[in-house]
Amino acid sequence: MKEVGYKFDVIVVGAGPAGSAAAYTLAKKGFKVLLVERGRMPGTKNVFGGRVYADPLRDVFDGFDDSAPIHRWVTKERISMVSGEAMTSFEFHTRKKTSFTTYLTELSCWMAKRVEEAGGTVLTEITVDELVVENGRVTGIRVGDEKVSSEVVIDAEGINRLLLERAGLVPKLELRHAGLGVKEVIKLSKKEIEDLFGLEEGEGLAWLMMGEVTGGLPGGAFLYTNRDSVSLGLVVMLGEAVKGVREHISRYVEALRLHPLLERYFRNGRIMEYSAHLVPEYTWPSLPHRLYADGLLVAGDAAGLLLNLGYNFRGVDYAAYSGYLAAKAVEKAHEMGGMTSENLSVYERLLEESFIMKQLRKFRNASKMRENGRLYSTYPEVLNSVMDQLFHSPYEVPKIMEAFKRARKGRIGWLDLIRDLLGMVRSI
Amino acid sequence: MMRKPMRVDDILNNDVWDVDYEPHIRVDATKCRECDEKPCLLLCPAQCYTLVGNEVLFSYEGCLECGTCRLICPHDAVHWDYPVSGRGIHFRFS
Amino acid sequence: MLKMVVGIKWVPNTTSVNIDPKTGTLIREGIPSVVNPHDLEAVEMALRLKDEYGGKVTVITMSPPSAIAGLEHVLGMGADKAILVSDRAFAGADTLATSYVLAKVIDRLDYDLIIFGQETIDSSTAHVGAQVASWLDLPYVYYVTHAELRGGKLVVRRSLENAHETYELDLPALISVAMHSLNPRRVKVSNKLRVKLENPVKTWSNKLLGLDPECIGLRGSPTALSKIEMVPKVPRKNEIFRGDAREAAKWLLEKLRGEGLLELG
Ligand SMILES: Cc1cc2nc3c(=O)[nH]c(=O)nc-3n(C[C@H](O)[C@H](O)[C@H](O)COP(=O)(O)OP(=O)(O)OC[C@H]3O[C@@H](n4cnc5c(N)ncnc54)[C@H](O)[C@@H]3O)c2cc1C
Ligand SMILES: Cc1cc2nc3c(=O)[nH]c(=O)nc-3n(C[C@H](O)[C@H](O)[C@H](O)COP(=O)(O)OP(=O)(O)OC[C@H]3O[C@@H](n4cnc5c(N)ncnc54)[C@H](O)[C@@H]3O)c2cc1C
Ligand code: SF4
Ligand code: SF4
Repeated sequence: MKEVGYKFDVIVVGAGPAGSAAAYTLAKKGFKVLLVERGRMPGTKNVFGGRVYADPLRDVFDGFDDSAPIHRWVTKERISMVSGEAMTSFEFHTRKKTSFTTYLTELSCWMAKRVEEAGGTVLTEITVDELVVENGRVTGIRVGDEKVSSEVVIDAEGINRLLLERAGLVPKLELRHAGLGVKEVIKLSKKEIEDLFGLEEGEGLAWLMMGEVTGGLPGGAFLYTNRDSVSLGLVVMLGEAVKGVREHISRYVEALRLHPLLERYFRNGRIMEYSAHLVPEYTWPSLPHRLYADGLLVAGDAAGLLLNLGYNFRGVDYAAYSGYLAAKAVEKAHEMGGMTSENLSVYERLLEESFIMKQLRKFRNASKMRENGRLYSTYPEVLNSVMDQLFHSPYEVPKIMEAFKRARKGRIGWLDLIRDLLGMVRSI
Repeated sequence: MMRKPMRVDDILNNDVWDVDYEPHIRVDATKCRECDEKPCLLLCPAQCYTLVGNEVLFSYEGCLECGTCRLICPHDAVHWDYPVSGRGIHFRFS
Repeated sequence: MLKMVVGIKWVPNTTSVNIDPKTGTLIREGIPSVVNPHDLEAVEMALRLKDEYGGKVTVITMSPPSAIAGLEHVLGMGADKAILVSDRAFAGADTLATSYVLAKVIDRLDYDLIIFGQETIDSSTAHVGAQVASWLDLPYVYYVTHAELRGGKLVVRRSLENAHETYELDLPALISVAMHSLNPRRVKVSNKLRVKLENPVKTWSNKLLGLDPECIGLRGSPTALSKIEMVPKVPRKNEIFRGDAREAAKWLLEKLRGEGLLELG
């Protein structure tokens, strides 16, 4: 292994939201930062659903509102329970601008540009092979037969976290801790989107669907409106999907596109891109594994720091904010005299004090709830049956409780129902 | 067009790759022969794993680099890495 | 010590161009560009010669500035210098005007050997190499699969379908590398760092070159394109025949004959 002729204070692996936020924060403070990304450009390997919460990013990136690639502000939320050819939906409409839709490919590219502007060095087309560990200390990265050294490495390599695994710092991700997301991006005109979804210019819709949309697999489907396209896809829990998958996974997304109640939205569109990515499927009572070591910090999906509520993903903002906190930890460790494990441990304290760990702890049972199969078949069926009786009884309309009793019968017992309800209320 | 089912290949055709010269994933075919479950056939979103006769055929060219096959293979048959030099999938609108 | 110049072209990644089902036209939106893949093989050949005999590799491209990303890629592989030849005045060039500018650029460089790719994936004329060689009055061998130095001469091999030809060339010379003959090497982190921290890409405009406007760009391009006809997309079919090999062969024969693809008695 040859040592290259340049040395850095900090090397950040991965130009996703976590890596770029870390690199940007440190470059701004005058650290000599190298951000390494395997994609041809930052963003070309990144996939997400479609919505980002803005405030945590505003905290990290100066001038966020001036230039960030915001497609539409999500002013309309819709949650639907689907069974057969029926769906019951809840909708919330406001004019507030709290989260927005975008492409993660575009947003990541924007973030990495900020890193360069702040004085960081961004290298693309470089796949890091290994963290270099010498005498129990991470001293840099290995790419091919070359080594680049730094005082500290911030690992923001995303969910597959090959580097952490190769360094023996984490075991291989367990199946039950991962979800598979598959999506189609469908081109429509701006006007078509606004007409079809009842939106004004700049307004967006976030639509989450549960029930038969995932073909009975635990998970959920999503639709986000972008500027002139929609992102349509689903996330299924891998642990369950391995056992329950019946046909090729792309067919499940296609079934969404061709669903009798959804097909009308995409009729005039064309597929622009088909993509897939893994997503962490857990919420933690405590940190998943240690996120610091001598010369090393871990941020974003690689650290498992994502809040998945089933009806909402908080991944991009959590990743970016954890990267920001990792940068703060490096600053503090620098003041304390070096990148030792002891000095860097301040990172965990910063995480604990931030909204990230508070939220993850609060929602620690959310993923357990989502493993409950009834959520994907029984409840949508019951709900849609009630609605059907209420609105499609030509002569004698039942009372709501009556309709509910009929709908429940043979589908779910009272005890399970109460247990599920309590569980749901407690966990989310 | 959009109202009819499409072939997976036609859906994938909308993507862009700069295919690497060497496969970044290698699959141990002898293990596949012993594998009863073969979850890769249905869960690889790019359908890189196909059944030809009784053999699992793997082709890396259309890989989306998601990592699913690495996790789901029950027999550790998948030797998995990323492509190098910026090659592989090039997402633009995701 | 071989001084080499390699020409690369920055092309849309046409392996991925799709047809819009509604309008029937090519979808160009968001198609990223890449270094013409066959030109990476030209760079690889230059780098192998450099590894073997020592030397310097200068890469040139005539292109809008977006090609800098491509130059950085080949610098990452190990090329020493890169020149972006870029000017509005060069726009609209056909192969003649392109080769003229490239020849004038190379003329200003100190070189022993010029290496081009076989052809590009977006126009595939395979004109440019031959044209540059004639502008510069150099010996030219096309479809080269291997090159080495022997007693101050360049010995190159052409692998044809039924024969290997060997040529001995006086330097300076120009060769075009046969596609699929070499695997381009991996981008190195040290080279990429040098690119970012030392910026070895130079831009040459026509202010520097001072070429006659009649010989460059659209005006210097005598080629006239009369018409483009799209080949209709033939739907792909596939059928799998299971069973006895003998039966399968018979079945296949019948099928092909039925499709009018075989005219055997
Ligand atoms: C289907 C799906 C839907 C989602 N929906 C949402 C949503 O709506 N809202 C939301 O906020 N979040 C969502 N998320 C989660 C969100 O995408 C992630 O939490 C977030 O992207 C994590 O950021 P990161 O920087 O940690 O990792 P990533 O974004 O994965 O970035 C990691 C980067 O590291 C690079 N890299 C990896 N290994 C190497 C290596 N060895 N060498 C060099 N570079 C390397 C990768 O190329 C990549 O650019 C979704 C995720 C999925 C999969
Ligand atoms: C009538 C006509 C009009 C055209 N109008 C335009 C136009 O308006 N705008 C436009 O951008 N193109 C235009 N082109 C395309 C352009 O002229 C050709 O793409 C270019 O001359 C190279 O030809 P080629 O791609 O067939 O290369 P080939 O001859 O197939 O390439 C052989 C090798 O030459 C080298 N090479 C080729 N091009 C370059 C280059 N630019 N820089 C360095 N090395 C190179 C490479 O090593 C390559 O492998 C036009 C072409 C024609 C025929
Ligand atoms: S799951 Fe693994 S062992 Fe089984 S067929 Fe697929 S790759 Fe082979
Ligand atoms: S990484 Fe994903 S896309 Fe690639 S072969 Fe494995 S499962 Fe298929």
